[in-house]
Amino acid sequence: MTATLPARTAARTGVLVLAVAAVADDVPGIRTLTLRRSEGGPLPAYPAGSHLVMDCGDRRNAYSLTGDGSPAEEYRVSVLLCPDGDGGSAFVHRLAVGDVVTASRPRSAFAPVSTARHHLLVAGGIGITPMLSHARAAVRWKRSFELLYGHRPGAGAHLDELRDLCGDRLAAYGSTPEMLAAVRAALADRPLGTHVYVCGPAPLIAFVEETAAELGWPAERVHAERFSAADLDPGEPFTARLARSGTRVPVPSGTSLLSALEEAGVAVPNLCRQGVCGECRVPVRSGRPLHRDLYLSEAERAAGDAVMCCVSRSVDDELELDL
Amino acid sequence: MGAEHTSVPRWGTERPAPDPSARALLLVGFGARGCAITTAWAADVPAGRAVEVLAADDADEAVLAVLTARIAGARVGWRLMLAGPEADVLAARAVALRAGVLDAEIRCAVTSTERKRVYCPHCRTTTATTAPVAGETPCDGCGRRLHVYAHVSRRAGAYLGFMADAEEVA
Ligand code: FES
Repeated sequence: MTATLPARTAARTGVLVLAVAAVADDVPGIRTLTLRRSEGGPLPAYPAGSHLVMDCGDRRNAYSLTGDGSPAEEYRVSVLLCPDGDGGSAFVHRLAVGDVVTASRPRSAFAPVSTARHHLLVAGGIGITPMLSHARAAVRWKRSFELLYGHRPGAGAHLDELRDLCGDRLAAYGSTPEMLAAVRAALADRPLGTHVYVCGPAPLIAFVEETAAELGWPAERVHAERFSAADLDPGEPFTARLARSGTRVPVPSGTSLLSALEEAGVAVPNLCRQGVCGECRVPVRSGRPLHRDLYLSEAERAAGDAVMCCVSRSVDDELELDL
Repeated sequence: MGAEHTSVPRWGTERPAPDPSARALLLVGFGARGCAITTAWAADVPAGRAVEVLAADDADEAVLAVLTARIAGARVGWRLMLAGPEADVLAARAVALRAGVLDAEIRCAVTSTERKRVYCPHCRTTTATTAPVAGETPCDGCGRRLHVYAHVSRRAGAYLGFMADAEEVA
Protein backbone atom coordinates (compact mmCIF):
# COMPACT_ATOMS: atom_id res chain seq x y z
CA MET A 1 0.00 0.00 0.00
CA THR A 2 1.12 3.52 -0.59
CA ALA A 3 1.36 5.73 2.45
CA THR A 4 -1.90 7.52 3.06
CA LEU A 5 -1.41 11.17 2.31
CA PRO A 6 -2.71 13.63 4.90
CA ALA A 7 -4.94 15.10 2.22
CA ARG A 8 -6.77 11.82 1.97
CA THR A 9 -7.37 11.22 5.64
CA ALA A 10 -10.67 13.07 5.82
CA ALA A 11 -12.02 11.24 2.83
CA ARG A 12 -11.03 7.89 4.26
CA THR A 13 -13.27 8.03 7.32
CA GLY A 14 -15.98 6.03 5.56
CA VAL A 15 -13.58 3.22 4.75
CA LEU A 16 -14.76 -0.38 4.90
CA VAL A 17 -12.42 -3.16 5.95
CA LEU A 18 -13.54 -6.26 4.11
CA ALA A 19 -12.41 -9.86 4.12
CA VAL A 20 -12.60 -12.04 1.05
CA ALA A 21 -15.19 -14.69 1.96
CA ALA A 22 -15.29 -16.52 -1.37
CA VAL A 23 -13.62 -16.46 -4.74
CA ALA A 24 -15.29 -17.85 -7.85
CA ASP A 25 -13.95 -18.09 -11.38
CA ASP A 26 -17.03 -19.29 -13.24
CA VAL A 27 -15.95 -17.77 -16.54
CA PRO A 28 -12.29 -17.79 -17.57
CA GLY A 29 -10.63 -14.47 -16.78
CA ILE A 30 -13.52 -13.15 -14.67
CA ARG A 31 -13.25 -13.41 -10.91
CA THR A 32 -16.17 -12.89 -8.56
CA LEU A 33 -15.29 -11.88 -5.01
CA THR A 34 -17.64 -12.18 -2.07
CA LEU A 35 -16.68 -9.66 0.61
CA ARG A 36 -17.79 -9.43 4.23
CA ARG A 37 -16.85 -7.11 7.06
CA SER A 38 -13.80 -8.54 8.80
CA GLU A 39 -15.61 -8.22 12.11
CA GLY A 40 -18.93 -9.39 10.60
CA GLY A 41 -22.23 -7.53 10.58
CA PRO A 42 -24.37 -5.71 8.05
CA LEU A 43 -22.90 -3.64 5.24
CA PRO A 44 -24.42 -0.37 4.02
CA ALA A 45 -27.31 -0.62 1.56
CA TYR A 46 -26.87 1.10 -1.79
CA PRO A 47 -28.85 2.15 -4.87
CA ALA A 48 -28.60 -0.29 -7.79
CA GLY A 49 -25.65 0.47 -10.06
CA SER A 50 -23.37 1.62 -7.22
CA HIS A 51 -19.66 0.89 -7.05
CA LEU A 52 -16.96 0.47 -4.46
CA VAL A 53 -13.63 2.19 -4.82
CA MET A 54 -11.21 -0.54 -3.74
CA ASP A 55 -7.58 -0.16 -2.76
CA CYS A 56 -5.69 -2.44 -5.12
CA GLY A 57 -2.06 -2.32 -4.12
CA ASP A 58 -0.88 1.12 -5.17
CA ARG A 59 -4.06 1.87 -7.14
CA ARG A 60 -7.67 2.57 -6.43
CA ASN A 61 -10.21 1.07 -8.78
CA ALA A 62 -13.98 1.30 -9.01
CA TYR A 63 -15.88 -1.98 -9.14
CA SER A 64 -19.64 -2.32 -9.54
CA LEU A 65 -21.59 -4.09 -6.83
CA THR A 66 -23.76 -6.80 -8.36
CA GLY A 67 -26.42 -7.15 -5.64
CA ASP A 68 -29.85 -5.53 -5.54
CA GLY A 69 -28.60 -3.05 -2.95
CA SER A 70 -30.77 -4.00 0.00
CA PRO A 71 -28.98 -4.37 3.35
CA ALA A 72 -26.89 -7.53 3.45
CA GLU A 73 -23.79 -8.94 5.09
CA GLU A 74 -22.07 -9.54 1.76
CA TYR A 75 -20.98 -7.53 -1.23
CA ARG A 76 -20.11 -9.12 -4.55
CA VAL A 77 -17.97 -7.71 -7.34
CA SER A 78 -16.83 -9.35 -10.56
CA VAL A 79 -13.55 -8.30 -12.08
CA LEU A 80 -12.22 -9.02 -15.56
CA LEU A 81 -8.51 -9.77 -15.66
CA CYS A 82 -6.91 -7.29 -18.05
CA PRO A 83 -3.41 -8.63 -18.76
CA ASP A 84 -2.31 -5.26 -20.11
CA GLY A 85 -4.53 -3.26 -17.77
CA ASP A 86 -3.43 -1.01 -14.95
CA GLY A 87 -2.68 -3.68 -12.39
CA GLY A 88 -5.87 -3.34 -10.34
CA SER A 89 -7.46 -6.37 -11.95
CA ALA A 90 -4.28 -8.44 -11.48
CA PHE A 91 -4.34 -7.50 -7.80
CA VAL A 92 -7.92 -8.76 -7.50
CA HIS A 93 -7.03 -11.95 -9.33
CA ARG A 94 -4.28 -12.66 -6.78
CA LEU A 95 -6.65 -12.39 -3.81
CA ALA A 96 -7.53 -15.51 -1.87
CA VAL A 97 -10.15 -16.35 0.76
CA GLY A 98 -9.25 -14.65 4.03
CA ASP A 99 -7.36 -11.74 2.50
CA VAL A 100 -8.39 -8.31 3.73
CA VAL A 101 -9.03 -5.35 1.44
CA THR A 102 -10.10 -1.79 2.10
CA ALA A 103 -12.73 0.02 0.08
CA SER A 104 -14.92 3.10 0.14
CA ARG A 105 -18.54 2.87 1.13
CA PRO A 106 -20.73 2.25 -1.95
CA ARG A 107 -21.01 5.24 -4.27
CA SER A 108 -23.96 5.80 -6.51
CA ALA A 109 -23.44 7.46 -9.88
CA PHE A 110 -25.59 5.18 -12.03
CA ALA A 111 -28.85 4.69 -10.17
CA PRO A 112 -32.16 3.77 -11.78
CA VAL A 113 -34.44 6.78 -12.33
CA SER A 114 -37.32 6.36 -9.90
CA THR A 115 -39.90 7.91 -12.23
CA ALA A 116 -39.01 5.74 -15.26
CA ARG A 117 -41.87 3.77 -16.77
CA HIS A 118 -39.54 1.17 -18.24
CA HIS A 119 -35.81 0.46 -17.86
CA LEU A 120 -33.86 -0.59 -20.95
CA LEU A 121 -30.55 -2.08 -19.77
CA VAL A 122 -27.72 -2.52 -22.27
CA ALA A 123 -24.52 -4.34 -21.29
CA GLY A 124 -21.39 -5.27 -23.20
CA GLY A 125 -18.87 -7.72 -21.76
CA ILE A 126 -17.89 -7.09 -18.14
CA GLY A 127 -20.21 -4.06 -18.32
CA ILE A 128 -22.82 -6.58 -17.19
CA THR A 129 -21.86 -6.02 -13.53
CA PRO A 130 -23.85 -2.83 -12.78
CA MET A 131 -26.66 -4.17 -14.99
CA LEU A 132 -26.89 -7.32 -12.88
CA SER A 133 -27.47 -5.00 -9.93
CA HIS A 134 -30.11 -3.04 -11.86
CA ALA A 135 -31.85 -6.23 -13.00
CA ARG A 136 -31.89 -7.67 -9.48
CA ALA A 137 -33.32 -4.45 -8.05
CA ALA A 138 -35.88 -4.26 -10.87
CA VAL A 139 -37.05 -7.80 -10.14
CA ARG A 140 -37.18 -7.14 -6.43
CA TRP A 141 -39.14 -3.90 -6.78
CA LYS A 142 -41.23 -5.17 -9.71
CA ARG A 143 -40.05 -2.51 -12.12
CA SER A 144 -40.56 -2.95 -15.84
CA PHE A 145 -37.21 -3.73 -17.48
CA GLU A 146 -35.38 -5.65 -20.16
CA LEU A 147 -31.69 -6.45 -20.54
CA LEU A 148 -29.74 -6.67 -23.79
CA TYR A 149 -26.40 -8.36 -23.14
CA GLY A 150 -23.62 -8.68 -25.71
CA HIS A 151 -20.82 -11.04 -24.75
CA ARG A 152 -18.12 -13.14 -26.35
CA PRO A 153 -19.39 -16.62 -27.25
CA GLY A 154 -18.91 -18.81 -24.19
CA ALA A 155 -17.64 -15.93 -22.05
CA GLY A 156 -20.84 -14.44 -20.76
CA ALA A 157 -20.26 -13.59 -17.12
CA HIS A 158 -23.29 -14.29 -14.93
CA LEU A 159 -25.23 -15.66 -17.91
CA ASP A 160 -26.86 -18.55 -16.07
CA GLU A 161 -28.02 -16.50 -13.11
CA LEU A 162 -29.24 -13.77 -15.48
CA ARG A 163 -31.37 -16.33 -17.34
CA ASP A 164 -32.91 -17.47 -14.06
CA LEU A 165 -33.39 -13.91 -12.86
CA CYS A 166 -34.72 -12.27 -16.00
CA GLY A 167 -36.37 -15.06 -18.00
CA ASP A 168 -37.55 -13.68 -21.33
CA ARG A 169 -36.59 -10.14 -20.30
CA LEU A 170 -33.00 -11.11 -21.12
CA ALA A 171 -31.73 -11.16 -24.70
CA ALA A 172 -28.10 -12.31 -24.92
CA TYR A 173 -26.00 -11.99 -28.07
CA GLY A 174 -22.69 -13.62 -28.89
CA SER A 175 -22.33 -11.54 -32.04
CA THR A 176 -21.75 -7.80 -32.11
CA PRO A 177 -23.80 -7.03 -35.25
CA GLU A 178 -26.80 -8.86 -33.79
CA MET A 179 -26.39 -7.06 -30.49
CA LEU A 180 -26.22 -3.65 -32.15
CA ALA A 181 -29.25 -4.43 -34.33
CA ALA A 182 -31.20 -5.41 -31.22
CA VAL A 183 -30.15 -2.23 -29.41
CA ARG A 184 -31.21 -0.11 -32.36
CA ALA A 185 -34.57 -1.86 -32.64
CA ALA A 186 -35.20 -1.32 -28.95
CA LEU A 187 -34.26 2.36 -29.07
CA ALA A 188 -36.59 2.80 -32.05
CA ASP A 189 -39.69 1.61 -30.23
CA ARG A 190 -40.02 1.94 -26.48
CA PRO A 191 -42.74 3.67 -24.46
CA LEU A 192 -42.29 7.32 -23.57
CA GLY A 193 -40.99 7.30 -20.02
CA THR A 194 -38.34 4.67 -20.76
CA HIS A 195 -34.78 5.34 -19.60
CA VAL A 196 -31.83 3.54 -21.19
CA TYR A 197 -28.71 2.54 -19.21
CA VAL A 198 -25.54 1.32 -20.88
CA CYS A 199 -22.30 -0.06 -19.52
CA GLY A 200 -19.60 -1.66 -21.63
CA PRO A 201 -16.74 -0.89 -23.97
CA ALA A 202 -16.48 2.69 -25.24
CA PRO A 203 -17.71 1.84 -28.77
CA LEU A 204 -20.92 0.29 -27.40
CA ILE A 205 -21.56 3.35 -25.23
CA ALA A 206 -20.95 5.62 -28.22
CA PHE A 207 -23.32 3.52 -30.35
CA VAL A 208 -26.10 3.76 -27.77
CA GLU A 209 -25.62 7.49 -27.24
CA GLU A 210 -25.52 8.28 -30.95
CA THR A 211 -28.39 6.00 -31.93
CA ALA A 212 -30.54 7.28 -29.07
CA ALA A 213 -29.90 10.90 -30.08
CA GLU A 214 -30.68 10.10 -33.70
CA LEU A 215 -33.97 8.50 -32.67
CA GLY A 216 -35.03 11.50 -30.61
CA TRP A 217 -34.08 10.39 -27.08
CA PRO A 218 -33.32 13.43 -24.92
CA ALA A 219 -29.97 13.08 -23.13
CA GLU A 220 -31.83 12.99 -19.80
CA ARG A 221 -33.18 9.53 -20.70
CA VAL A 222 -29.75 8.10 -21.58
CA HIS A 223 -27.38 6.98 -18.83
CA ALA A 224 -23.89 5.59 -19.41
CA GLU A 225 -21.32 4.13 -17.06
CA ARG A 226 -17.80 3.93 -18.38
CA PHE A 227 -15.20 1.56 -16.97
CA SER A 228 -12.84 4.44 -16.31
CA ALA A 229 -12.25 7.90 -17.67
CA ALA A 230 -11.83 7.34 -21.38
CA ASP A 231 -8.21 7.66 -22.39
CA LEU A 232 -7.82 11.31 -21.78
CA ASP A 233 -5.60 13.60 -23.76
CA PRO A 234 -3.04 15.68 -21.82
CA GLY A 235 -5.20 18.79 -22.26
CA GLU A 236 -4.43 22.45 -22.74
CA PRO A 237 -2.52 24.37 -20.06
CA PHE A 238 -4.53 26.76 -17.89
CA THR A 239 -4.28 28.60 -14.59
CA ALA A 240 -6.24 27.84 -11.45
CA ARG A 241 -6.89 30.91 -9.31
CA LEU A 242 -7.63 30.18 -5.66
CA ALA A 243 -10.22 32.77 -4.68
CA ARG A 244 -9.57 32.73 -0.93
CA SER A 245 -5.79 33.13 -1.02
CA GLY A 246 -5.48 34.81 -4.39
CA THR A 247 -2.83 32.22 -5.34
CA ARG A 248 -2.40 31.32 -8.98
CA VAL A 249 -1.54 27.71 -9.72
CA PRO A 250 -0.39 26.92 -13.26
CA VAL A 251 -1.68 23.60 -14.62
CA PRO A 252 0.54 22.49 -17.49
CA SER A 253 -0.55 20.14 -20.24
CA GLY A 254 -0.22 16.56 -19.00
CA THR A 255 -0.61 17.51 -15.31
CA SER A 256 -3.99 17.14 -13.66
CA LEU A 257 -5.56 20.02 -11.76
CA LEU A 258 -5.51 17.78 -8.68
CA SER A 259 -1.76 17.12 -8.97
CA ALA A 260 -1.07 20.80 -9.56
CA LEU A 261 -3.06 21.73 -6.44
CA GLU A 262 -1.28 19.08 -4.37
CA GLU A 263 2.11 20.33 -5.56
CA ALA A 264 1.07 23.83 -4.55
CA GLY A 265 0.34 22.51 -1.07
CA VAL A 266 -3.46 22.52 -1.35
CA ALA A 267 -5.01 19.39 0.15
CA VAL A 268 -7.97 18.07 -1.82
CA PRO A 269 -9.66 14.82 -0.72
CA ASN A 270 -9.50 12.22 -3.46
CA LEU A 271 -9.81 8.50 -4.00
CA CYS A 272 -9.86 7.13 -7.51
CA ARG A 273 -8.00 9.87 -9.38
CA GLN A 274 -9.81 8.78 -12.52
CA GLY A 275 -13.04 10.72 -12.40
CA VAL A 276 -15.35 8.03 -11.05
CA CYS A 277 -15.63 8.36 -7.28
CA GLY A 278 -16.78 11.93 -6.80
CA GLU A 279 -14.39 12.60 -3.94
CA CYS A 280 -12.27 15.40 -5.42
CA ARG A 281 -15.10 17.81 -6.23
CA VAL A 282 -13.98 21.43 -6.02
CA PRO A 283 -16.31 24.44 -6.18
CA VAL A 284 -15.86 26.78 -9.15
CA ARG A 285 -16.48 30.54 -8.88
CA SER A 286 -15.82 31.60 -12.44
CA GLY A 287 -14.49 30.26 -15.70
CA ARG A 288 -15.97 27.36 -17.62
CA PRO A 289 -14.92 23.86 -16.49
CA LEU A 290 -14.04 21.28 -19.14
CA HIS A 291 -15.75 18.27 -17.59
CA ARG A 292 -14.07 14.95 -18.30
CA ASP A 293 -15.22 12.96 -15.28
CA LEU A 294 -17.80 10.20 -15.08
CA TYR A 295 -19.34 11.41 -11.87
CA LEU A 296 -21.22 14.70 -12.26
CA SER A 297 -24.73 14.60 -13.67
CA GLU A 298 -25.75 16.52 -16.78
CA ALA A 299 -27.42 19.15 -14.63
CA GLU A 300 -24.35 19.54 -12.43
CA ARG A 301 -22.18 19.91 -15.50
CA ALA A 302 -24.49 22.52 -16.95
CA ALA A 303 -24.46 24.45 -13.67
CA GLY A 304 -20.67 24.71 -14.06
CA ASP A 305 -20.15 25.47 -10.38
CA ALA A 306 -18.08 22.42 -9.53
CA VAL A 307 -15.31 20.41 -11.12
CA MET A 308 -13.83 16.96 -10.48
CA CYS A 309 -10.23 18.12 -10.35
CA CYS A 310 -8.56 14.73 -10.89
CA VAL A 311 -9.51 14.59 -14.58
CA SER A 312 -11.33 17.78 -15.55
CA ARG A 313 -9.73 20.95 -16.79
CA SER A 314 -10.76 24.41 -17.98
CA VAL A 315 -12.25 25.73 -21.20
CA ASP A 316 -11.09 29.24 -20.31
CA ASP A 317 -7.49 30.25 -19.66
CA GLU A 318 -8.32 30.76 -16.04
CA LEU A 319 -10.57 28.82 -13.67
CA GLU A 320 -11.37 30.46 -10.36
CA LEU A 321 -11.85 27.93 -7.56
CA ASP A 322 -13.52 28.53 -4.22
CA LEU A 323 -10.45 27.33 -2.32
CA MET B 1 -36.36 15.76 -11.15
CA GLY B 2 -36.44 19.47 -10.59
CA ALA B 3 -37.72 21.25 -7.56
CA GLU B 4 -41.42 20.92 -6.82
CA HIS B 5 -41.84 24.67 -6.89
CA THR B 6 -40.08 27.04 -9.19
CA SER B 7 -40.63 30.74 -9.46
CA VAL B 8 -42.81 32.27 -12.10
CA PRO B 9 -41.78 30.93 -15.52
CA ARG B 10 -40.08 33.43 -17.75
CA TRP B 11 -41.33 32.68 -21.22
CA GLY B 12 -38.76 33.60 -23.82
CA THR B 13 -39.64 36.34 -26.25
CA GLU B 14 -38.43 34.07 -29.06
CA ARG B 15 -40.99 31.49 -30.06
CA PRO B 16 -39.42 28.01 -29.84
CA ALA B 17 -39.14 25.90 -32.99
CA PRO B 18 -39.96 22.20 -33.30
CA ASP B 19 -37.13 20.01 -31.98
CA PRO B 20 -35.38 18.66 -35.08
CA SER B 21 -34.63 15.38 -33.31
CA ALA B 22 -38.34 14.66 -32.68
CA ARG B 23 -39.81 11.64 -34.47
CA ALA B 24 -43.41 12.37 -33.55
CA LEU B 25 -45.03 15.54 -32.26
CA LEU B 26 -48.27 16.60 -30.65
CA LEU B 27 -49.02 20.31 -31.08
CA VAL B 28 -51.75 21.75 -28.88
CA GLY B 29 -53.06 25.27 -29.50
CA PHE B 30 -55.33 27.13 -27.09
CA GLY B 31 -57.42 29.98 -28.47
CA ALA B 32 -57.04 31.64 -31.87
CA ARG B 33 -53.54 32.96 -31.22
CA GLY B 34 -52.33 29.64 -29.87
CA CYS B 35 -53.76 27.79 -32.86
CA ALA B 36 -52.05 30.19 -35.25
CA ILE B 37 -48.76 29.24 -33.63
CA THR B 38 -49.40 25.49 -33.85
CA THR B 39 -50.24 25.92 -37.54
CA ALA B 40 -46.90 27.65 -38.07
CA TRP B 41 -45.12 24.93 -36.10
CA ALA B 42 -46.75 22.19 -38.15
CA ALA B 43 -45.36 23.81 -41.30
CA ASP B 44 -41.86 23.88 -39.74
CA VAL B 45 -41.73 20.20 -38.78
CA PRO B 46 -39.32 18.37 -41.10
CA ALA B 47 -40.90 15.85 -43.47
CA GLY B 48 -41.32 12.27 -42.33
CA ARG B 49 -42.37 13.09 -38.75
CA ALA B 50 -45.75 12.12 -37.39
CA VAL B 51 -47.53 15.33 -36.40
CA GLU B 52 -50.88 15.68 -34.68
CA VAL B 53 -52.40 19.13 -34.14
CA LEU B 54 -55.10 19.71 -31.54
CA ALA B 55 -57.06 22.97 -31.38
CA ALA B 56 -58.88 23.89 -28.18
CA ASP B 57 -60.52 26.88 -26.55
CA ASP B 58 -58.85 26.23 -23.24
CA ALA B 59 -57.23 23.45 -21.20
CA ASP B 60 -60.48 21.85 -20.06
CA GLU B 61 -60.92 18.31 -18.79
CA ALA B 62 -61.65 16.92 -22.26
CA VAL B 63 -58.45 18.30 -23.79
CA LEU B 64 -56.36 17.19 -20.84
CA ALA B 65 -57.88 13.69 -21.12
CA VAL B 66 -56.88 13.50 -24.79
CA LEU B 67 -53.38 14.69 -23.85
CA THR B 68 -53.12 12.00 -21.16
CA ALA B 69 -54.19 9.33 -23.64
CA ARG B 70 -51.66 10.47 -26.24
CA ILE B 71 -48.85 10.41 -23.67
CA ALA B 72 -49.82 6.89 -22.62
CA GLY B 73 -49.49 5.72 -26.22
CA ALA B 74 -46.36 7.69 -27.12
CA ARG B 75 -42.91 6.18 -27.76
CA VAL B 76 -39.59 7.80 -26.83
CA GLY B 77 -38.79 10.38 -29.49
CA TRP B 78 -42.19 12.06 -29.06
CA ARG B 79 -42.41 15.78 -28.29
CA LEU B 80 -45.16 18.01 -26.97
CA MET B 81 -45.56 21.64 -28.05
CA LEU B 82 -48.05 23.92 -26.34
CA ALA B 83 -49.18 27.37 -27.46
CA GLY B 84 -51.71 29.71 -25.88
CA PRO B 85 -52.47 31.66 -22.71
CA GLU B 86 -50.19 30.88 -19.78
CA ALA B 87 -52.96 29.38 -17.64
CA ASP B 88 -53.74 26.75 -20.30
CA VAL B 89 -50.12 26.04 -21.19
CA LEU B 90 -49.23 25.56 -17.52
CA ALA B 91 -52.20 23.27 -16.92
CA ALA B 92 -51.33 21.10 -19.93
CA ARG B 93 -47.64 21.08 -19.07
CA ALA B 94 -48.43 19.99 -15.53
CA VAL B 95 -50.43 17.03 -16.84
CA ALA B 96 -47.52 16.04 -19.08
CA LEU B 97 -44.90 16.39 -16.34
CA ARG B 98 -46.98 14.33 -13.95
CA ALA B 99 -47.21 11.63 -16.63
CA GLY B 100 -43.41 11.45 -16.83
CA VAL B 101 -42.74 13.68 -19.85
CA LEU B 102 -39.45 15.53 -19.35
CA ASP B 103 -38.90 19.26 -19.66
CA ALA B 104 -36.60 18.43 -22.58
CA GLU B 105 -39.61 16.95 -24.38
CA ILE B 106 -41.91 19.97 -23.99
CA ARG B 107 -41.76 23.35 -25.72
CA CYS B 108 -44.14 26.17 -24.94
CA ALA B 109 -45.18 29.48 -26.47
CA VAL B 110 -47.27 31.76 -24.27
CA THR B 111 -49.58 34.30 -25.90
CA SER B 112 -50.77 36.08 -22.77
CA THR B 113 -50.25 35.93 -19.02
CA GLU B 114 -53.18 37.79 -17.60
CA ARG B 115 -55.31 34.74 -16.79
CA LYS B 116 -53.95 32.68 -13.90
CA ARG B 117 -54.86 29.61 -11.96
CA VAL B 118 -54.24 30.02 -8.25
CA TYR B 119 -53.95 27.02 -5.96
CA CYS B 120 -55.34 27.41 -2.45
CA PRO B 121 -53.26 25.37 0.03
CA HIS B 122 -56.01 25.72 2.63
CA CYS B 123 -58.80 23.94 0.73
CA ARG B 124 -56.86 22.67 -2.32
CA THR B 125 -59.14 24.30 -4.84
CA THR B 126 -57.70 25.91 -7.95
CA THR B 127 -59.29 29.24 -8.84
CA ALA B 128 -59.16 31.05 -12.18
CA THR B 129 -58.37 34.74 -11.83
CA THR B 130 -57.02 37.73 -13.67
CA ALA B 131 -55.42 39.17 -10.56
CA PRO B 132 -51.75 40.08 -11.03
CA VAL B 133 -48.88 38.46 -9.12
CA ALA B 134 -48.88 39.98 -5.61
CA GLY B 135 -52.55 40.85 -6.12
CA GLU B 136 -55.52 39.23 -4.39
CA THR B 137 -58.36 36.97 -5.42
CA PRO B 138 -61.13 35.19 -3.51
CA CYS B 139 -60.79 31.38 -3.44
CA ASP B 140 -63.60 29.61 -5.31
CA GLY B 141 -63.47 26.78 -2.78
CA CYS B 142 -63.34 28.38 0.67
CA GLY B 143 -63.83 32.05 -0.03
CA ARG B 144 -60.58 33.05 1.67
CA ARG B 145 -58.87 36.11 0.23
CA LEU B 146 -55.80 34.69 -1.48
CA HIS B 147 -52.61 36.60 -2.06
CA VAL B 148 -51.23 35.51 -5.49
CA TYR B 149 -47.73 34.48 -4.56
CA ALA B 150 -44.91 34.72 -7.14
CA HIS B 151 -44.47 30.95 -7.17
CA VAL B 152 -45.68 28.47 -9.76
CA SER B 153 -45.92 24.79 -8.97
CA ARG B 154 -44.77 22.94 -12.06
CA ARG B 155 -46.68 19.83 -11.20
CA ALA B 156 -49.89 21.65 -10.31
CA GLY B 157 -49.46 24.15 -13.13
CA ALA B 158 -50.79 26.89 -10.88
CA TYR B 159 -49.69 29.89 -8.85
CA LEU B 160 -49.59 29.41 -5.13
CA GLY B 161 -52.14 31.37 -3.13
CA PHE B 162 -51.79 32.38 0.53
CA MET B 163 -54.44 33.65 2.85
CA ALA B 164 -54.07 37.40 2.42
CA ASP B 165 -54.71 38.26 6.05
CA ALA B 166 -52.85 35.33 7.60
CA GLU B 167 -50.97 37.53 10.04
CA GLU B 168 -54.15 39.13 11.33
CA VAL B 169 -55.68 35.76 12.06
CA ALA B 170 -52.54 34.42 13.76
S1 FES C 1 -10.61 11.44 -7.16
FE1 FES C 1 -12.28 10.26 -7.76
S2 FES C 1 -13.38 11.62 -9.02
FE2 FES C 1 -11.56 12.64 -8.64
